[in-house]
Amino acid sequence: MLETINLTKRYEDGELALDGLTFKVEPGEIFCMFGANGAGKTTTINLFLNFIPPTSGTALIEGIDVAKEPLKAKRHVSFVSENVTLYGNFSAIQNLDYFSKLAGKRNLTKKDYAAVLERVGLQKEAFDRRVKNFSKGMRQKLGIAIAVVKDAANVLLDEPTSGLDPQSGREFLEILVQMRDTGKSVFMSTHDIFRAKLIADRIGFMRKGRLVMLKTAKELANEDLTDLYIQYMEEQPGQAVPPAAASA
Amino acid sequence: MLRDIIKKEILDNITSPKFVFTFLLCTILILLSIYTGVTNYRAEKKEYTAALALNKKNLESQPNYQSLAGIGVKVSKPPQVLGTVVTGIEEAVGRVAPVNIAADPNLIESKYSSNPVFAVFGSLDLMFIVKIVLSLFAILFTYDAIVGEKEKGTLKLALSNDVPRDRLILGKAIGGYISLLLPLLIPLVLGLLILVITPDISLGGQDWARLLLIFLMFFLYLSVFFSLGLFVSARTSRSSTSFLVLLFVWVVFVMVIPKVAVIAAGQIRPIPSVHEITAKKDAFLQQIQSGAQKGVLDWIKKNAPDAQKDPKAYQGKFQQFIQDYQQDLTSKIDENNAALERDYQQMKRAQQNLAVNLSRISPASALTFGSMTLARTGVDDFDRFLASVRAYKPIYTKWVNSKLGQSINFQTGETAQIKLDDMPQHVYEPQWLSRSLARTIPDFALLAVMIIVFFVGAYVSFLRYDVR
Repeated sequence: MLETINLTKRYEDGELALDGLTFKVEPGEIFCMFGANGAGKTTTINLFLNFIPPTSGTALIEGIDVAKEPLKAKRHVSFVSENVTLYGNFSAIQNLDYFSKLAGKRNLTKKDYAAVLERVGLQKEAFDRRVKNFSKGMRQKLGIAIAVVKDAANVLLDEPTSGLDPQSGREFLEILVQMRDTGKSVFMSTHDIFRAKLIADRIGFMRKGRLVMLKTAKELANEDLTDLYIQYMEEQPGQAVPPAAASA
Repeated sequence: MLRDIIKKEILDNITSPKFVFTFLLCTILILLSIYTGVTNYRAEKKEYTAALALNKKNLESQPNYQSLAGIGVKVSKPPQVLGTVVTGIEEAVGRVAPVNIAADPNLIESKYSSNPVFAVFGSLDLMFIVKIVLSLFAILFTYDAIVGEKEKGTLKLALSNDVPRDRLILGKAIGGYISLLLPLLIPLVLGLLILVITPDISLGGQDWARLLLIFLMFFLYLSVFFSLGLFVSARTSRSSTSFLVLLFVWVVFVMVIPKVAVIAAGQIRPIPSVHEITAKKDAFLQQIQSGAQKGVLDWIKKNAPDAQKDPKAYQGKFQQFIQDYQQDLTSKIDENNAALERDYQQMKRAQQNLAVNLSRISPASALTFGSMTLARTGVDDFDRFLASVRAYKPIYTKWVNSKLGQSINFQTGETAQIKLDDMPQHVYEPQWLSRSLARTIPDFALLAVMIIVFFVGAYVSFLRYDVR
């Protein structure tokens, strides 16, 4: 489970990136977070991964306070980033092997890696090819494979679908659904309204570091997400979603 | 986990084009430098042997002691076997010191003076390659060690796992250093093989110890730039910035500081030029020479009646006078020259020490001075050689003066044939390893301190590094 309680981040230059953010991603749930650039989505992920310290509030992974026990908390989370180029001189299998070992998975064989790569939709002939010759979509699939191999209870995705072709995008969504079905908590920051609508259990909108809207998939079923996106991204005196509602 | 990080780092480096490029260039340059060093050493050894034989022949062919005293002997500096890896100042400074009764010995006939074109390009020895080329490779291997991973996104991905940052930087440092040493070690071993199998090159136990210490110094020097690269890489957020900063620091360390230190030392502790000292010596010599003729004439005038009474006794007395008088004059010249030289050397040494100490802020200077001292091709070695020649000069002049006095037959006007059997020989004891080591301790210490400072800087910076 992923959870933030009154999470606030003010950078050294005074910019308030997160302002009392409170939400929870339950096991077996996909939570998609929308927001314009600079709304605080990536900051939230950076706080979950302890890349930056919070100004106040708490980020919890499986109930573990990330700021207090970062290494322990990180054992329970996988991360897929937007633009990871990986090690260009390594093959897909070599990249996967290295990151699996960092994740503590030491007994996996080449066969296991091949199975995961196949599962994320990478062509077989690319398994032993140098990653520097991969397209963005192929690299993204490899990034997802790294997260899949770690098999953590929680998954953080930072705009993972940007640059993916429709086919790759569809395959990617299937993997996320599989993850959810195995009980993982999935938090995805994205601008991809259409793909998010297909898989999200809940959707949140952030503006200026605050969660200004939170709805379930059911509530959004008959709504035009594009209109909603534009509506919530426009400048207006945003009212934060009450903590109780966000955690529900 | 540490092993995985090290393994990854090595694999990532050795599969990169920069590794292949470094390996090829290192192999070519190192083997070329050792080949050049070996060829030069063999040529110098041949020249040295020929110079000794020629000098002996030249002395033997002199008709009498007068002409022998005039031309004097030429003392040649033996070439150093470790000049094959660290040429030092061997090519720039003279290799021969003429010793005669008049002039003060100095080193002449340098390789550069006999063929100035060598001075245009300088020498391509192993120390030069390590100092200039390999230090740049160390930068090439590290400038993007941290910041490059940030740009690729792999740093975020790695640290999204329960990987302690200290272990990651340690793994990267160890793996990166091994990757840098790999293209260096293979050609170095091949180079050593060339040294071992080449005829005319014999390395004694002390030479091997010196060679190993020189190699240790090379590795420490490269480690300075390696840890500096890590440090700068962990302080910047773009690899292009990191590269530019490192290039700037490299130029300052390798090019600017050593040159500025010499200029600054010259300004802080000015010394008279060699010409001024020579002019003073020449003036004194002229003064002595003009007085010498008068002295001999006075003696002859004073003792003229004795020549009539007992010519044989007169000849003996005159020979004794000439011998004593000549010895007295040369002693005066030597004393004057020695005093001038002592003062000059003292001032020069103070200036040199200041220049050396100022330039030691740069690891390149520490490497240069340290490796030259260990190879016995540095300023110290030449100073010691010249000092030994200057110590030999009074011994030689005393001998030649005694021969001069005894060899003149005033009745017949004949002079005796020269015999060189009892001529004192110049002896030069090269510096002992323990003494060289003691002199290089500050250089080793400085390099070690720089490594520690830069690595700790890199370590601390990485613990706080913004990976976003």
